[in-house]
Amino acid sequence: MNKIHKKIWTLTTVILLIMAGIWLTLTYYNQKTQNQYNDILQRYLRMNEVTRTSQQMIADLNNYFITPIPENLNKLNNSKEKMEHVKKDVSYLRNSENDFALTNYMNLIDSLVETTDRSLLFFNEKETEDSAKEFSEATRISMYISEMTLTLIDSELNTYERFYRGIIEQSEEIKKLGIGLMLMITCLLMFLTYGFSLSITKPVQKLTQAANELSRGRFHLPIKVDSNDEIAFLAKTFDRMRININNLISEIQQKAQLEHELQESKLLLKESQLLNLQSQINPHFLFNTLNTLSKKAYLEGSHETSDLLVSVAGLLRYNLKRLDRPVTLREEVMVLQQYMDIQKARFTDRLHLKMSIDEKCLNVDIPGLTLQPIIENAVNYAVEPREDGGNIWFRIQDGNDCVIIEVEDDGPGIKEYKIKQILQGQFIQKGGNSTGIGFTNVVRRLRLFYGYEDIMNIESSAAGTKVVMTIPKDRRGRHDKTPDRG
Amino acid sequence: MRKTGILVFCLTCIVLGYFTFTLSEKAFTSKWDLPAASDGQEVKYRLVLITQELETPFWDKAGIAAQEQARKDGASLEVWGSYGKNQEEFLKKLEVAIQSKVDGIIVQGLDTQEFTDLAKIKAAFYGIPIITVANDVPKSESLRKTYVGSDQYLAGQLIAEQLLDDMGHKGKVILMGDKHKEFYQQQRLDGIHEVLKEYPNIQTVYAETTDVREEIIAATQNMLNQNPDTDSFIAIKANIAGAMVQEIGRRSQVEPYYIYSFDDGPDSISLLTQGKLDGIIEQSPEKMGSLSVELILKWLRDEEVPLKSDGYLTDIRILKAMEKQ
Repeated sequence: MNKIHKKIWTLTTVILLIMAGIWLTLTYYNQKTQNQYNDILQRYLRMNEVTRTSQQMIADLNNYFITPIPENLNKLNNSKEKMEHVKKDVSYLRNSENDFALTNYMNLIDSLVETTDRSLLFFNEKETEDSAKEFSEATRISMYISEMTLTLIDSELNTYERFYRGIIEQSEEIKKLGIGLMLMITCLLMFLTYGFSLSITKPVQKLTQAANELSRGRFHLPIKVDSNDEIAFLAKTFDRMRININNLISEIQQKAQLEHELQESKLLLKESQLLNLQSQINPHFLFNTLNTLSKKAYLEGSHETSDLLVSVAGLLRYNLKRLDRPVTLREEVMVLQQYMDIQKARFTDRLHLKMSIDEKCLNVDIPGLTLQPIIENAVNYAVEPREDGGNIWFRIQDGNDCVIIEVEDDGPGIKEYKIKQILQGQFIQKGGNSTGIGFTNVVRRLRLFYGYEDIMNIESSAAGTKVVMTIPKDRRGRHDKTPDRG
Repeated sequence: MRKTGILVFCLTCIVLGYFTFTLSEKAFTSKWDLPAASDGQEVKYRLVLITQELETPFWDKAGIAAQEQARKDGASLEVWGSYGKNQEEFLKKLEVAIQSKVDGIIVQGLDTQEFTDLAKIKAAFYGIPIITVANDVPKSESLRKTYVGSDQYLAGQLIAEQLLDDMGHKGKVILMGDKHKEFYQQQRLDGIHEVLKEYPNIQTVYAETTDVREEIIAATQNMLNQNPDTDSFIAIKANIAGAMVQEIGRRSQVEPYYIYSFDDGPDSISLLTQGKLDGIIEQSPEKMGSLSVELILKWLRDEEVPLKSDGYLTDIRILKAMEKQ
């Protein structure tokens, strides 16, 4: 995973290799040129050496003739030896162009040595004249050697001229090549470095951008860095962090939502309680009075009135007691019956209530005072305004995992927009004769209680209205979370 | 924008790369052709052709032919010499050749003591065969192996006969020769005299001069002054002809005079083409060159021993101004 590390190493190695390659080539070439220069110089030096040695030999010979002591003879012998030596050196200079001249040259050297020997011989045998003659000849030969050296050097220059010019040209080319190479390497390295830095900075930039987005609170954008180094790893980790934060935030938001809803339901409850309290002036007094009235009616033989008063009292008590606690459907139905008894007493024959109740379903939990406002609504709109009264059907059916509660009337129906308003939970300006807890209130409480929206459906036409409530049998986890309403 | 940048960058890289590549190709491919190292194994005969008159038409022809022949026979030959009859330089070259122990020397003969000394003593001491070419030296005095060139005596005769043809049997002839009368000049002169002595009406005057131009001019003036009735000039030594003709031309017309010379001077041919010379003896320098090489190689290879000491004569003919034109 040491990617960046590796990248830097690779880049450095590549640069190093290129430099080393160039250095090696140039050094090799320089060495080659140097050797050539050396060879050339060597040629000239060797030729010059011949001239010098031959002159030295003549000088030594002369010295010996002037002062014939062994020391001078030694010197002469030395220079003779040297002469042989340089002759051998010169033989290496042979090539096809100077073959002839070089052979002559070497023979001249031989001649010189021989003449010197002869001169020495004559000198030793005291034949001074012959010796002098040979000496002058040796001097001449030495001069010829000098001249020939010059000629050879001259021809050497001619032969090698193109070669020398080649060397000069080549050094020019090398200079140009150096510039070209430098430019190319600069370009190449810039390119490499650009790519390299990009491969590091681009992911970093992406990461920075992602961090910026996160800091602005945008948690939904995924972080994607497609490189193969540590940055990618960093980005992956960062992305995981983002996802985690995102989850946490949404959880918090949910919780806030819940809190909000809870607050709302509390408010609603308060409202209904308030409304209740408003509509009940001193309920206990009323309750006791109603009971007294009931007994009195019973003693006076008015049974019907007594029953009615009991119903009113029961209703009143229920309202007082059950409002803040979930009750069973059974209790609700009971209250509903008491309420309907009262309404029947009011409307007599005009109200026709038909109940069909599946007893098995009556154990379902339901918030208090939910059915009564709906029935009340039906009575208010379907029965009360009509002189010949109306029909109300109340049904409780088993719908497998839910209980279906239907309240149907054959009234003039509710207007479409009103239904919408009710189902959306908006409060409606209501008419004067309701008990106070409105339809909307019921809808919202039911939704809060069961935790899902689709709990009530209203079908309305000119021939009547049908309110269908689908109450789940099982309240699921909702039960524990619902705060105690007390 | 960035794409264009990268594209431009890549292009630059490619261009630079190409540039560098071609440069490196140029820089590292050595185009130096050094002379091939000599194998040194092959033993070649080293011959030297030495003349006193380098870069004259006559000797150029001889030199080229000799080199051609040497190449054919697998020997190496160099042409050495001096310019403009510089004897000192010429003798030095001869000595260098001898001291260099070449295998054979082909030399333009020079009839002087120094030459004879060198040829006779030095060359013989080192065992180097010498062939004279074009100009001979007396065979008794030098130990030359043979002579290759024209029969100078015959050449003199030819030129005299031509003179008789052109001028008739009566007249005055001025013979201009070198003060240092070389062997070949003597031969030419002998040849001319041999022919002309038959004709008592022809008077010959012999004038001597040196190589120096001023002296030639002076000698010519002198001759013209002394012999205003002269009809003809013969330059025994071809080198004299140029200055001589020039001087005659200054005095009067050149045309009335019958002027003859030889072809071994630097300006012989051009004078003939200009019509200033009436005739020259044309020798065969090519033949001399090739034959001399051939002979010396034969001698070296023991194929023809001994060589004819009388010499091998090459063709001569008279070349007249009319023909040349």
